[in-house]
Amino acid sequence: MSEITNTFITLEEMEAATNRLLETAAAVGADTWQQRVKNQTPHCKFGEEGICCRICTMGPCRITPKAPRGICGCDRDGIVGRNYLRFTAGGAATHSDHGRNIAHVLYLSKDGGDYQVKDPEKLIRIAKEWDIETEGRDIYDLAHEVAETGLMEYGKPFGIQRFLKRAPEVRQKVWHDAGIEPRAIDREVSQSMHMTHMGCSSLPEALVRQSLRAGMSDGWGGSMMGTEFSDVLFGTPKPVDTNANLGVMEEDMVNIIVHGHDPSLSEMIVFYAQDPEMVALAKEMGAKGINVAGVCCTANEVAMRHGIPMAGNFLQQENVVLTGACEAIVVDVQCIFPALGPLSKCFHTKFVTTSPIAQMPDSDYIEFNEATAGENAKKIVEMAVRNFKNRKPELVHIPQLKTNATVGYSVEAIKKCLDGVTNSHVDEVNTMIPLIQCVKSGVLRGAVALVGCNNPRVRHDYAHIELMKKMIANDIIVIVSGCSAQAAAKAGLLSKEAKNLCGEGLKRVCELVDIPPILHMGSCVDISRMMILAADIAKDWGIDICDVPVVGCAPEYMSEKAVSIGNYVVATGIDTFLGVNPYTKGGPAIEGLLQGSIKDWVGANFTVELDIEKMGDDMIERIEEKRVALGI
Amino acid sequence: MGLFQTVFRGSDEMYFKAEEELNKVIAELGEDAPMTMPDTAYFLACIYAYLGQKVTTLGELKTALASIRAMMTRDNRTKSIFDSGVATAMAAEVIEATKYARTPTPYEGTQYHGHFSDAEVRELGVPLVTRDIPGFVVMIGPAPSVEEAVDMVKGYQSRGIFVFMIGGIIDQVHSAGVNTGFGVRCVPVGPDIWSVGHVISLVTRATMIFGATEPGDAQAFHDYTMARIFAFVNAYAPVDDIVVACGAGAIKMGFPVITNDDHDPTWPVPKSLIVYKDTKDWIETSLEARDIKIKITNIDIPVAFSSAYEGEIIRKKDMRIEMDGSRVDCVELVQTKEPHEIEDHRITLEGPDFDQFEVGEKIPIAYIVDVCGKSMQTDFEGVFERKFHSFLNCIEGVMHTGQRDMIRIRVSNASFDAGFRARHIGEVLYAKIKSEYDTVVDKCQVRIYTDPEKVKELRAEANHTFDQRDERLKTMTDESVDVFYTCILCQAFSPSHVCIVTPERLGLCGAVSWLDAKATNELDPNGPCQIVPKSRMIDERTGRYEDVNEAVNKYSHGALEQVTLYSIMEDPMTSCGCFECICGIEPLSNGVVIVNREHVGMTPMGMSFSELASMTGGGVQTPGFMGHGKHFIASKKFIKAEGGLARIVWLPKALKEQIAERLDESAKELYGIDNFSSMIADETVCTEDPEELLNYLTEVGHPVLGMEPLM
Repeated sequence: MSEITNTFITLEEMEAATNRLLETAAAVGADTWQQRVKNQTPHCKFGEEGICCRICTMGPCRITPKAPRGICGCDRDGIVGRNYLRFTAGGAATHSDHGRNIAHVLYLSKDGGDYQVKDPEKLIRIAKEWDIETEGRDIYDLAHEVAETGLMEYGKPFGIQRFLKRAPEVRQKVWHDAGIEPRAIDREVSQSMHMTHMGCSSLPEALVRQSLRAGMSDGWGGSMMGTEFSDVLFGTPKPVDTNANLGVMEEDMVNIIVHGHDPSLSEMIVFYAQDPEMVALAKEMGAKGINVAGVCCTANEVAMRHGIPMAGNFLQQENVVLTGACEAIVVDVQCIFPALGPLSKCFHTKFVTTSPIAQMPDSDYIEFNEATAGENAKKIVEMAVRNFKNRKPELVHIPQLKTNATVGYSVEAIKKCLDGVTNSHVDEVNTMIPLIQCVKSGVLRGAVALVGCNNPRVRHDYAHIELMKKMIANDIIVIVSGCSAQAAAKAGLLSKEAKNLCGEGLKRVCELVDIPPILHMGSCVDISRMMILAADIAKDWGIDICDVPVVGCAPEYMSEKAVSIGNYVVATGIDTFLGVNPYTKGGPAIEGLLQGSIKDWVGANFTVELDIEKMGDDMIERIEEKRVALGI
Repeated sequence: MGLFQTVFRGSDEMYFKAEEELNKVIAELGEDAPMTMPDTAYFLACIYAYLGQKVTTLGELKTALASIRAMMTRDNRTKSIFDSGVATAMAAEVIEATKYARTPTPYEGTQYHGHFSDAEVRELGVPLVTRDIPGFVVMIGPAPSVEEAVDMVKGYQSRGIFVFMIGGIIDQVHSAGVNTGFGVRCVPVGPDIWSVGHVISLVTRATMIFGATEPGDAQAFHDYTMARIFAFVNAYAPVDDIVVACGAGAIKMGFPVITNDDHDPTWPVPKSLIVYKDTKDWIETSLEARDIKIKITNIDIPVAFSSAYEGEIIRKKDMRIEMDGSRVDCVELVQTKEPHEIEDHRITLEGPDFDQFEVGEKIPIAYIVDVCGKSMQTDFEGVFERKFHSFLNCIEGVMHTGQRDMIRIRVSNASFDAGFRARHIGEVLYAKIKSEYDTVVDKCQVRIYTDPEKVKELRAEANHTFDQRDERLKTMTDESVDVFYTCILCQAFSPSHVCIVTPERLGLCGAVSWLDAKATNELDPNGPCQIVPKSRMIDERTGRYEDVNEAVNKYSHGALEQVTLYSIMEDPMTSCGCFECICGIEPLSNGVVIVNREHVGMTPMGMSFSELASMTGGGVQTPGFMGHGKHFIASKKFIKAEGGLARIVWLPKALKEQIAERLDESAKELYGIDNFSSMIADETVCTEDPEELLNYLTEVGHPVLGMEPLM
């Protein structure tokens, strides 16, 4: 890793680095997403507008002015609405299944085992919330009961999600009245599939309502469990310093890149990369040691718990291989390009798939089993280490871009930071009140949750970085997760130095609280943390979440998970701005609901705005409107 | 409603008042009339600091006011309230300045202090650095009751916090007979909120003097004050818009505001604007808000003990008893003993106690402090003794002056009535020696004597010790020691200044001699005084050492590359700003003029202390100007490279008298000149005309006239 760190890195510098790596790609004849985007352009217009239906084999049906209905008679809004619901259900299923896996790991945890309870306090807190007896119990006994209770949330025949009670009462009532309180998680996914089956729902209101409910089962169900149980198992994040961008890869070390989402694999890889036996082996192979770095949300998970550096986000997964210095790219689930298989073959890189959920051609498949996790992880690390000697020196080029970042602002950590500015004579601790005071006085105008992926439809990271800069310059504090968080980290915006890009109000807050202006809250599954944060703010303020001057934004999103997230964020009462259309343009009634009248149900809705500059202005305006409504 | 709108209204109010007052005074005196604040080299300091404008006429003040108005923007962003707040403070300075445009003493005959002189600002340097003054409070408005006002002020004083009062609280504390003034660190600034301009003026000047901040670089001032000036505001309800606007400025500068005015729910801002109804609990709340930690020394005496009382003067009419070394036998002494000879914390009194003397009687006293410790060295005895003055002065109602056998101590009626007796002197000395020198003093006892015969005997013994010490000090030259020391005690305020302390050149503040530095280094090996070897001399004439250069470079963090020890022209030593004296070259006579901080008049260089002092400070190297301690003047190393102390052509009379004996001795030794001090001019000879000075020097045959030109 280069000793020098850059305070800030511009988009242009990052693009120049990518261009240099693409030269390597051309030299070795590798395929890249940049090329594949060209191959796929122009995209199918019917698909883009969401008006292509292939749910039954009578079609595919496509809506045109001359053919306004499908063979079954479904109109454009029915088709768009079904596609939208299925998209949401896909995301909800994915996130929630991630949560389920973590719950299983929690169930397997044991004293002295590969997986242990690292935050018993949090476990007890959750148990109490769920009315599980905690007094005098063995912590693992308790962990297993909590895990089992959590797992039952996926399939319980009756009742609604337990975590909904975390919201302010007024919000719980909104959900009840709107009929979107999620029941068992699997049931909401199943029902979504059922509703969209041939010959079921085509009523826009019904499809959108179920989208919100399926999203809720993710955000206040599966994702929230994923987050909470990960904290119990691996520790609740607290501020930790790390580095970001491709310069974190080390020329003279074994580089293992972890990629995906599920921390139960990456935690083990990190552990075994420090194993003296493995380090000794690396030295034997001629390397100085073993360097683990992350890509995508796995990077967020290990960065915020161990300070493992973040090499890049979603659209940089090929770049790490193109450095020629990647001994292994080890993946778990979600957002992994199948392209990594053929790409790795152009280099010495081992592409290691580990999950039955994400199996790909041209990979070394080492199935990662939670019961034999340590053994599996060690084998993977060893494979990477032994691969060091196969590096082709003439292909090695690591762009010397590296920033400092402070990450790991869980809700618990944020409260602790806020405690630092309370006065023991005047204030209570462990509340959101200091933050609320800053917003009420106007020192901060509000907050923006910037989340989501990268998408070649938007210049890579441009929207994330530009919007962040604009928000902080306007005294709006930003919370980030997922690939948005990495965009911030790569540009230097997660460093405390970034206070110098802020308006005076946010700058002062950063100085007093000793935080960066953009708070890293974790991976995409951790957007559930943001929901808890918003709920706690609303509760401490005594208002509903939809009244708090906060908006959400996913300017470069691409996945089904992101759409599921959008649904639960809006359902939670937070206006959400999207920089990419969720394939709904062809359904005016659906758009009318999503971008309009669902506000009557949940107090918030979507705005789709492809002009990033304008989107920023609109977000600020929305925040100011909410301030006016509050009389502040 | 709303904090922002309140600030905007308040800053408008201050601006319009400033405009009105300025127009009035311009109508009276005209735009060309001079506009100067007395005893300062920093013009209207707030305007100079934040805008970089040097106001010298009322017309220029008008221009400045236009710039102030331009800063009062009205966006709903914090920048606007911050800028408007700082502009409000400047507008306050304008209002106050209009008073000084008419007379240099507008507050004469009132209970208010008004403008602070540069000398006063500089006087704060050392106590701020040593944290004897851990912070400042600006108290605005009347407290809920007179009793509470007094309790608060005394509470702050007892913690060493410097109190500035504005408005109704002043009448409150005066009605209760509280002694106020710069000396007791409790200043009634002015009746109106705009007198806060004087406080901010003091703050900005401290920043320029100690921080070498560039006038006009407003952000640099804010960064400095936020990081290094531990001030805060207590504003009693009802808090008007105009006070809130000033508060916004204070918060921008890094000073939190604590108030009990809770009518607007948008006000509280963490660590910045704290709304708290329990006014009686404000002291601790405020200290926490500004992160001020008070080092508490619990001393078992019946009166308060705080640096706030250090400047307290006990007048004859308030005095119960006096120990006067000029009339009766008195002596103070530290002695190193063997451990078995000392019982820790034993305080004995031999002779009658204070209550056994007549009221107003002059009594003899001797107090001998016996210490022991593995790392104790006899060289430290004098170092500890020199601290007695400040230790005893911190006692409420006790005044101490002088040293050795020429001391004078007065005890006030009030403190006597509170039960203050002889043994309490022992308690204070014991507690302070043990807390400040805990790494070298293991055990300490104090013996106090008031029996005339015994004191006489002890005085004679002590004088023998003093003679021995003086003998040793005389032989202690820069050549006779192996190492010098750095002193970076001031870096809390003056981050790029480094003092090099040698036996023949003490620290410029006058408070750190080579022995002090040595003791400090022994006490805290990683502390402010670090050893500088002197093995690699480059130039003997100027006192240039490779080792010294490396040290200043390292400890100034690269701000300074080289200094000489004995030259004022070639890489002179820098200063933090709290120097006792400033020396500058006088071109006509080829000599140097030295002026001490206390001297308020002009010098033949056409500049006052303040103006001369502003030429250097903050770690800036300015050839031809040099800050130094009083005792350096008679040193044989004083500007040795330029020919030495024979260059001195002018000194304030009081300073000259203070150092005459040693100065004459050195001159005799160096040049064979008798009675050299009489050849040096002072303000009785000439005040600001260099021609007059030259005539005098010619008349008395001053040696400088035969020396090489300085430039």
